[in-house]
Amino acid sequence: MAGVNSAAGPLAWPAAREQFAAIAQLRWRIFVNSLRTLRGRLEVVSWFFVGLGFAAMGIGGTFGLGAAAWFLASQHQFEWLALILWGVLLYWQLFPVMATAFTENFDSSNFLRFPIRYRAYFFIRMVYGALDPTTLIGSLWLVGIALGIGIADPGLFPWAVLLLATFGALNILLARMIFAWIERWLARRKTREILGIVFLFCIISVQFIGPVMNRYGNHHGQHSRVVIPGVAVNLLPAEKFTPPGLIGAALGAASSGNPAIALGSWVLECGYAAIFLWLLDIRLRAQFRGENLSESAAPRAAVAAKEKATVREGLALPGFSSPVAAVFEKELRYLSRSGPMLFNLAMPLVILAIFLLGPANSARHPGTIGHRPDFAAFAFPLGVAYALLILSNLMYNSFGTEGVGIQFYFVAPVRFRQILLAKNLIHGSLIAFEACLLWVAVSLVLHRPTMGMTLATLAGALFAALVNFSVGDLFSLYSAKKFDYAVFGRQRASGTTALAVFGVQAVVFGICAITFALAAHFGQLWLATLILLAFAAAAFAGYSLLLNRIDRIAINRRESLITELCKAQ
Amino acid sequence: MDVPAISTEHLSRRFGDLVAVDDMNLRVTAGQFFGFLGPNGAGKSTTIKMLTGLLAPSSGRMEILGIDLTNNPVEVKRQIGVVPEGMALFGRLTGAEYLNFVGRMYGLGRDVAAKRTVELLDFMQLADQPKALIADYSHGMQKKLALAAAVIHGPKILFLDEPFEGVDAIASGTLKSMLNGMIARGATIFLTSHVLEIVERLCSHVAIIYRGKLVAQGSLEELRTGVQAQATQAEPGAAAPGEKLTLEEIFLRIVGGTRAAAEQELSWLG
Repeated sequence: MAGVNSAAGPLAWPAAREQFAAIAQLRWRIFVNSLRTLRGRLEVVSWFFVGLGFAAMGIGGTFGLGAAAWFLASQHQFEWLALILWGVLLYWQLFPVMATAFTENFDSSNFLRFPIRYRAYFFIRMVYGALDPTTLIGSLWLVGIALGIGIADPGLFPWAVLLLATFGALNILLARMIFAWIERWLARRKTREILGIVFLFCIISVQFIGPVMNRYGNHHGQHSRVVIPGVAVNLLPAEKFTPPGLIGAALGAASSGNPAIALGSWVLECGYAAIFLWLLDIRLRAQFRGENLSESAAPRAAVAAKEKATVREGLALPGFSSPVAAVFEKELRYLSRSGPMLFNLAMPLVILAIFLLGPANSARHPGTIGHRPDFAAFAFPLGVAYALLILSNLMYNSFGTEGVGIQFYFVAPVRFRQILLAKNLIHGSLIAFEACLLWVAVSLVLHRPTMGMTLATLAGALFAALVNFSVGDLFSLYSAKKFDYAVFGRQRASGTTALAVFGVQAVVFGICAITFALAAHFGQLWLATLILLAFAAAAFAGYSLLLNRIDRIAINRRESLITELCKAQ
Repeated sequence: MDVPAISTEHLSRRFGDLVAVDDMNLRVTAGQFFGFLGPNGAGKSTTIKMLTGLLAPSSGRMEILGIDLTNNPVEVKRQIGVVPEGMALFGRLTGAEYLNFVGRMYGLGRDVAAKRTVELLDFMQLADQPKALIADYSHGMQKKLALAAAVIHGPKILFLDEPFEGVDAIASGTLKSMLNGMIARGATIFLTSHVLEIVERLCSHVAIIYRGKLVAQGSLEELRTGVQAQATQAEPGAAAPGEKLTLEEIFLRIVGGTRAAAEQELSWLG
């Protein structure tokens, strides 16, 4: 009879280090196996170039921030060092949300089916997250800051290392915690709606910052340029208790020979980290217990018996065939059920809000860096450009969310030109919606964009959209990557696509910027509208040509497309 | 002469050095309930993918209802319904939304698509959870929904890849009654399954594929007679006259499978 005859039998608990080794080996094998295909090799090359960009950002930032830290430490202005750390913190927390394509793509929750201890699971989640570009760049910047402080005051170096390492750990925990909770809130309709309302309030409240600051500034003097420093000085006592402020305070105290205060600040910093850790722990424990973040509520037998499907007729799109309308409606439903995607679509407004707090706000006040009156006027085209960038995720990976459903498009009697036309219609509608939203927001908060600026921006958006539709449709077929609308972050875009997006947007936005500059030079903004409309007409011709050939391309690509989108992970 | 529902000529498909389907000449007459059998990796799914337009053949010709699939894929797809291996569902739609969507993709009017959606949801007993997303359906519910989607446009030929896999007895009964109803109304069904009892009970005709080659094709009775004749020829007295071989026995004799491997013992298993 078969029996349990070894110490490593089924009842033995596997050692965590063996599991880590197995996971590391698995990751390595996945990487090596991915190199078997041309696409896999292209991905590596693409990520190399994307990595060069990140490396430049990381190294440049390290030197820049290091120099700034050296200067501030030499001058003993440690409270201003906190300002630099605020920049690092904002980058660390916002960049992954703004550019989810660059977050860690391995969903370690898949390991939960194995006999893995919670502590090991937690460790895995932390380690994999630590390898994303944001964390690497943020850590590099902190190293630069520590070195800058160390060069200015060698005696302070150990303190800088301790405090900045804690700050780095806090940032990692905070970023993971934010992602985990946002994913949780966006997963269900009710919490998604609450989050949406909170978000809306935040956006609206930003609009009151300008008037409040103006009023405050009028109280304190004639020159409104002192408004922001004035507010900042008043906020400084509170700011000292924020994570960046505590680091500045601790370094200041250590520098002036008050190790007890420095230690106290460090303990408070650790307290913040502990709170973030605890909040993250709640989420990860829920995941560990097998929480299901499904859209639907649990089946309710009693109610279910009474409910019957009420099927209304599908959406009709005047001028378009039934399949185009059907795909359009399906895409609309998918989007409306995707919290993370809706969140991404709201990002242009967030950026606008940040813009308002920074240069655009100062644009209202003479004597500051954004003094030029047309600086604020460019908020609208810049916002629309950013919205287009955000939508690249959708446009360049149109089939990413279909999963096994992609097979349906190949067995149904429809042409791919109809399917892609419907998807592009959705993308176009989203761009139009974002443009309207931004126009209203800019009008309410800054100045109403002039008619000339509005028309030129819309012409530019039309041109950019058509170019992006064409290139995006091709990349959707050639470089599709499975994508789950329900997951926030944890999904990395195809490196080839990311590189292509940067390239295309650089060209398109470059053309638009040159056109705007030319028109501004001649003082005739309508000229930009005309030129951009001409570009849009050419782009439309190219787009039509592509749509006519897209069926043949799709048929040629069907096997790799189905293989990629139907794979389990 | 009647146009066959499905016919292939010298159909082959290679993946690098592997020949998944090798020179297949298949003929399915209209109105047949056709079972397509073979061991794992024999080429069943590859064949069904080629016949439904999911995979291009390396060489050969395929006709569905007399229409060349390679030259006129959209016209062929209009006539057929498919439940592919992965079921091809869109997880973030509800069952009703999905059926409505599929109906319209097959060219049904909005009103007709909505009406048939209600009827199919009722028939498949899927109408009780109208707000549940497909991703939250059980496997059996997903299978029923995939089948409902495959028939919403009233196809003349239905291709089913493992339709009963993971389906409970109740759901299985529903599916079988629907399929039998379709056959009674003149449709053709082409099905692959590992469950030979189901194939034996449902199908009138069977083809067996082994290592990419079609090794047997015909009605169950024809296969039975053929296997018995072969056995008698090889070893007189091996098959008792009048002995009624089950499909499983026919299958094992044709593909030469043995149970020896299954009888091996894994000593470390509890």
